[in-house]
Amino acid sequence: MASRDVVLLSIDSGRDGLPSNALRLAAMGRRLADQRGGQLRWLVLGDLPTQLATLAGSYGVTAVDHADDDSLGGWAGDAQVNAAASYLGDRQGALLIAAQTFDSRCIVPRIAARLGCGVVMNVVDLDSDDDGLSLTAAAYGGDTRSGYRFEGDATAVVALGDNVVDAGPAGSQGEAPLETVSLDCGEPERVSVVERAVTEGPRLEDAEVIVAGGRGLQDAANLGLVEELATALGGVVGASRPIVDDGWIDRSQQVGLTGSITRPRLYIAAGISGASQHMVGCTSAKTLVAINIDPDAAVFRQCRYGLVGDCLELLPAITRAIKES
Amino acid sequence: MRVVVCAREVLDPDAVSNYVLEGKLEIGEDGRSVVNASIPRLMNAYDEQALEAALRLKDNDESVTVDVVSLGSDSADILKHAAAMGADGIFHLAADPAGLDCSAIGRLLGAWVGSSGGAQLVLCGRQASDDDQGVVPAVLAEALSLPLVTIARDVAVAGDGWRVIRATPDGDETVQVDCSAVVTISNELGDPRYPTMSNKMKARRRTAETVEPSSLGLSADELAPRVVMTSTSVPELHGQCEFIEGGSVDEQAAALVARLRQDEAIAGGSA
Ligand SMILES: Cc1cc2nc3c(=O)[nH]c(=O)nc-3n(C[C@H](O)[C@H](O)[C@H](O)COP(=O)(O)OP(=O)(O)OC[C@H]3O[C@@H](n4cnc5c(N)ncnc54)[C@H](O)[C@@H]3O)c2cc1C
Repeated sequence: MASRDVVLLSIDSGRDGLPSNALRLAAMGRRLADQRGGQLRWLVLGDLPTQLATLAGSYGVTAVDHADDDSLGGWAGDAQVNAAASYLGDRQGALLIAAQTFDSRCIVPRIAARLGCGVVMNVVDLDSDDDGLSLTAAAYGGDTRSGYRFEGDATAVVALGDNVVDAGPAGSQGEAPLETVSLDCGEPERVSVVERAVTEGPRLEDAEVIVAGGRGLQDAANLGLVEELATALGGVVGASRPIVDDGWIDRSQQVGLTGSITRPRLYIAAGISGASQHMVGCTSAKTLVAINIDPDAAVFRQCRYGLVGDCLELLPAITRAIKES
Repeated sequence: MRVVVCAREVLDPDAVSNYVLEGKLEIGEDGRSVVNASIPRLMNAYDEQALEAALRLKDNDESVTVDVVSLGSDSADILKHAAAMGADGIFHLAADPAGLDCSAIGRLLGAWVGSSGGAQLVLCGRQASDDDQGVVPAVLAEALSLPLVTIARDVAVAGDGWRVIRATPDGDETVQVDCSAVVTISNELGDPRYPTMSNKMKARRRTAETVEPSSLGLSADELAPRVVMTSTSVPELHGQCEFIEGGSVDEQAAALVARLRQDEAIAGGSA
């Protein structure tokens, strides 16, 4: 009989002892396992995030299955795909839910391809019924939503995007039991890292305050106005894609679909039009402020506070107001 | 040395975005196709950058052959564009994408690459700007049993394989692969070349070689969609923007800072 289990997959150790987007993954997994009447298990490949068993326990996860083969450290695309495919090979019919991250974008579709099953990325919502699965995924950088359907009880693989709906609170207590699993990680890795990426300064993903600039700054020299406000607020500088492409600022500062997805307390967008591909990277901010000369700019549809005017005047004025008060 | 580039047509994402903003995006009777007739159709920008990456390899080494393949019902224009940019061979895999999912498309492309002599490098765009899925290159890599390197901004020959720079959120990461590989290209590669007028004229006379999917020997099960797209919709935005208006620039700035303090978006007292 086909498995009704839901398997959550983590391949990164994330921050604060939890893998990326762990809460939403757990909440969605709980809902789907309840709908399907199967177990909820959490498969961890590589290092075990320290807080995972506690979080998993609070969402009633049956067990955390931890595979800790040496080959799962570092760049481990091949090993991760092999390990996950062998785990799911024994659970035909299961639903695999992964958090979508820069690395999992490369791993998750390969797992599905290895298993010969379907896969949908950028998922924001999903539900299971007697006949299969219905899901909603973001498309056109977030401008539209696509509905998808898996029919029948075949294995299915999905990656939860960043703007996933909150599926519900934790209901249980205590730690989930930990089980060590031994999985076939296959042949040695075919891709090797020659030079690792090094971030200088704080990462956008971790920033509490971000001041971001776009093409409305008009000139690379005006980026200094963004930096000054960011410094006054103890925050980090972000950017829209065009000014990264034009070389004003390093690509590690790009916010959006193809940059970083951020969740700061405060995000100030200056001279940014509000294209969906930028907004997916900042609408999870608690407070979003937009400064734009065009009162009809799309960015105003999604922000909390709007200032219509020239960012070259408003940015320094806000910096002064912060310093004065 | 053969480099294959996979490319497909998309609706201009900026035009789609504008229609969405104006509330004028039209969805067809099937509930999922965007049907506004005036939206231009283009080569997916990331695929164009993948082709640019291939042509840069060719610029440095005359022995490189660049073949571009497109699966779709209406690929003639983008394949001519690929020829005008400098592709050697242009191939149209004549399958109807409407009845296929990303997995089947990846398998078809993989089967074609394999049956047409293989490749030392297969380049794809990192994702298509319509569905943003990025699944096809992964399936293609698995179908050919090749390693996959995603989101590259540079690809260079190194030994028997490739040295690839990935544009990660933490900065550049350099990886080495010592065999044939599938690599996906991101916009950090830089702008694709613009075809010259004379190359455009020449390309107009080129016709793509048609590949019948039935010639690739895939079973009905391998082509059956595992997942079906059922709808397209426009999400509602829940904005409640409060405009801070009136007064001088400094007064507006002070009003904003006061609101942000009140909301505890910035620390109270001295910042
Ligand atoms: C597949 C895909 C992926 C993408 N990924 C990303 C991504 O990750 N991140 C990203 O940012 N973009 C991304 N983009 C690009 C995105 O679609 C937009 O083109 C981009 O975000 C626009 O940047 P912008 O707002 O800085 O520039 P513009 O759209 O040119 O907007 C400039 C804004 O500045 C305003 N302005 C002008 N002068 C002033 C002034 N003096 N004071 C105040 N305001 C002023 C204008 O009114 C305008 O609204 C992607 C696009 C595609 C197709």
